[in-house]
Amino acid sequence: MSEAVAAAGDQPAARPARTRNRAEYGVCVFLALVGVVVLVDALQLSNNRTGVDPLGPKPVPVFVGSLLMVLAVALAVAVTRGSQGEAEAGEDIDLSQPVDIKTVLLLLGVFVANIVLIDFLGWVISGGLLFYGSAIVLGSRHFIRDLVISAALSLGTFYGFAIGLGVGLPAGILQGIL
Amino acid sequence: MESFQFLLNGFATAATPINLLLSLIGVIIGTAVGVLPGIGPAMTVALLLPITYNLEPTGAIIMLAGIFYGGMYGGSTTSILLNTPGESSSVVTAIEGNLMAKGGRAAQALATAAVGSWVAGTIGTLLLAFFAPIVTRFAISLGAPEYFAVMLLAFIAVTAVLGSSRLRGFISLALGLTVGLVGLDSVSGQARLTFGIPQLGDGIDIVVVAVGIFALGEALWVAAHLRRQVAEVIPVGRPWMGKSDFKRSWKPWLRGTALGFPFGAIPAGGAEIPTFLSYITEKRLTKHPEEFGKGAIEGVAGPEAANNASAAGTMVPMLSLGLPTNATAAVMLAALVSYGIQPGPLLLQREGELVWGLIASLFIGNTLLLILNLPLAPMWAKLLRIPRPYLYAGILFFASMGAYAVNGSSFDLILLLVFGLIGFGMRRFGLPVLPLIVAVILGPRVELQGRRALQLSSGDVKGLFGSVDVATGQFQLSALAIVVYVIIVLILLWPLIFKVIRKVLPAKAAAVIEEISEEPALAVAEHHHVEVTQTDEGPSRTENTETPK
Amino acid sequence: MTIVVGYTPTPAGRAALVAAAGVAAERNRPVIIVNSSRGDALADPGFATPADLDWARSTLEEAGVEFSIRQSVRGREASEEVVTVLEEVDAELCVIGIRHRTAVGKMLMGSNAHRILMDAPCPVLAVKAVDHD
Repeated sequence: MSEAVAAAGDQPAARPARTRNRAEYGVCVFLALVGVVVLVDALQLSNNRTGVDPLGPKPVPVFVGSLLMVLAVALAVAVTRGSQGEAEAGEDIDLSQPVDIKTVLLLLGVFVANIVLIDFLGWVISGGLLFYGSAIVLGSRHFIRDLVISAALSLGTFYGFAIGLGVGLPAGILQGIL
Repeated sequence: MESFQFLLNGFATAATPINLLLSLIGVIIGTAVGVLPGIGPAMTVALLLPITYNLEPTGAIIMLAGIFYGGMYGGSTTSILLNTPGESSSVVTAIEGNLMAKGGRAAQALATAAVGSWVAGTIGTLLLAFFAPIVTRFAISLGAPEYFAVMLLAFIAVTAVLGSSRLRGFISLALGLTVGLVGLDSVSGQARLTFGIPQLGDGIDIVVVAVGIFALGEALWVAAHLRRQVAEVIPVGRPWMGKSDFKRSWKPWLRGTALGFPFGAIPAGGAEIPTFLSYITEKRLTKHPEEFGKGAIEGVAGPEAANNASAAGTMVPMLSLGLPTNATAAVMLAALVSYGIQPGPLLLQREGELVWGLIASLFIGNTLLLILNLPLAPMWAKLLRIPRPYLYAGILFFASMGAYAVNGSSFDLILLLVFGLIGFGMRRFGLPVLPLIVAVILGPRVELQGRRALQLSSGDVKGLFGSVDVATGQFQLSALAIVVYVIIVLILLWPLIFKVIRKVLPAKAAAVIEEISEEPALAVAEHHHVEVTQTDEGPSRTENTETPK
Repeated sequence: MTIVVGYTPTPAGRAALVAAAGVAAERNRPVIIVNSSRGDALADPGFATPADLDWARSTLEEAGVEFSIRQSVRGREASEEVVTVLEEVDAELCVIGIRHRTAVGKMLMGSNAHRILMDAPCPVLAVKAVDHD
């Protein structure tokens, strides 16, 4: 009775063109940096050419490094002309809203925590925390249910894969208990 | 024919209880994952790779192939019931399939998709069994220069043909080559790009790269842009088809297969183009044109068959040449490498049991899929109720588990993080992922082949264009190598050529060419609309944007 | 003064809507239908499809009741959405559907109905699904 349905045209642009283009220059800088690193590393190689190896290990890295530099410049030129990379879309992606940096950083934090803790605490605890933390960061609010699921997953994968299939997962401080 | 004998032996391998079980597991996991949004078969195969390390290579590859095929079945189920396809190659199925479902014919749509996929998969695998030995025999006859040229072509094709921006494709390629450089040079033994870190001496494990870029990168990207969207799932009972449906479907099945297989086999062919071509073909050939746009069964039968045939076609260059033509094949090749098996023309000879076992298991897997999917489709649809936080937390969980398990070291987790960030950046700036993965896998091999070609010619550049005939001692130009190089140059120069064509040719011919290269864009545009439902008093709006991958 | 009904396309939700229609007709009050989803999953059986909303509309029209519909996907729990509306329109009555949960089910899943009962600023009418739908 009191609803209005309207059909609009295309998806709205993610943000004003100027900000996006500046970010694209960042890609050029990144490429150039990588290219420099590759070239510097390549130059310290001693190019022993032998009968078996007439080319040596040097040419390809030099080529790749130079290619990166060339592409960095080419991209810079293209961006100046207005070329923009299309951010990837998908069913779970909503590009019309600004980037949720907070969630990404929190997720990265949870991930790094796992990296730091995994050898000490073992997979069961550290991996379980990884799942739990990620689920919460991504918005799940069922705190108790998620804890149960995390524990089940980490125990299940540990018993199933590590002990069952011999996949190398650390037991950490739970060594001997499991 | 001796191939037939090999194939029978392959069945003996594939039909062992363990391998049957692995095929079943792979197919189930693949379908489940294919149904879920946001996770593709390439990512699933990458995530599950480390788990397969302790399995026999044959069994492991059988399971991974099951995941591949299952993923496509799952994707078409979602695309029919939901109009939000789980896989980019199911976009076309969604057009008519979802319309059929909305019109109450979901069961028929699902049935024709399932049976069509089975038909296409079986025929495709037969073609695979037939062509693989032939292509292999041809490939073995290739010398280093020809092989170098062909691999270079694969590189260029994957980079310059796909995707909207060739420049970005090349950037992706260059980054992948860089990653491939890390480690000890195989010929001279010198360390490249290792920065003194001992763990980098063996190079960067392709699994870590794949999982990082596909899985972690995707999870981070979704986290940054999580969309809250609920789609209407059309309820459905068991899929089944009536006689008239069958009559209308069988020719599209065959036509779809014929279109899909060749495209799957060439680099940069993929599954999107043949499914789209199949759709246009069926639309033009149908005896019921008024149904297109309202739910025509031919519009589901053809594209689904094309989809599956393309997957079978992908296996041809993968098994006979060691060339991946899509992301999933690239990851499967990575799997072979990690089991210590060298992909390439000699694969069929050296690991005949594995390859034929794999081919036989594809038949079995296809049939298992048909049996599973017909009665179980409604159940798969329930998987769509899993909340996204669990899905993506699960991805992070399994990604970390797998990456750690590669070497039992948390260093790989750091690498995983780095590649996850790279994957995030690539999605943000529109850099295609496939060239990077292909470059990581093929780059070192191309370098090796090139150096070998030059070794044979003792350093003379001519070595890349031909070889010394053993009998006469004369240098002979390789016709194949020359042809391939010419093709490469053509592909690289295509935009310029295209402009010339437009000016020179009469308007109509140029328009046709333009139409062919623009129609995929039209199909995308059809799926791209925003529906805004506003309530009178409330500030809440329901946004429902359908964007195909 | 309005009557707010938390509607889901389930037997309990439909029973709630029918009850709300009855009460609204009796008291001659307008009804606001609230349906929402957190949008976490691609498929949410609690989210009303256009067909479900049509059924709701026709039920209320038959009862001769004035109504409006609010449907949102904002990442908030259904109980939160309902309570927000209750406070915003200063509702006179809230109608919800309830179904039986085992003791374990209540602990693991939480309960929207429970939270609405606790947080609502107005009386709450909890309706059980009828056996024959």
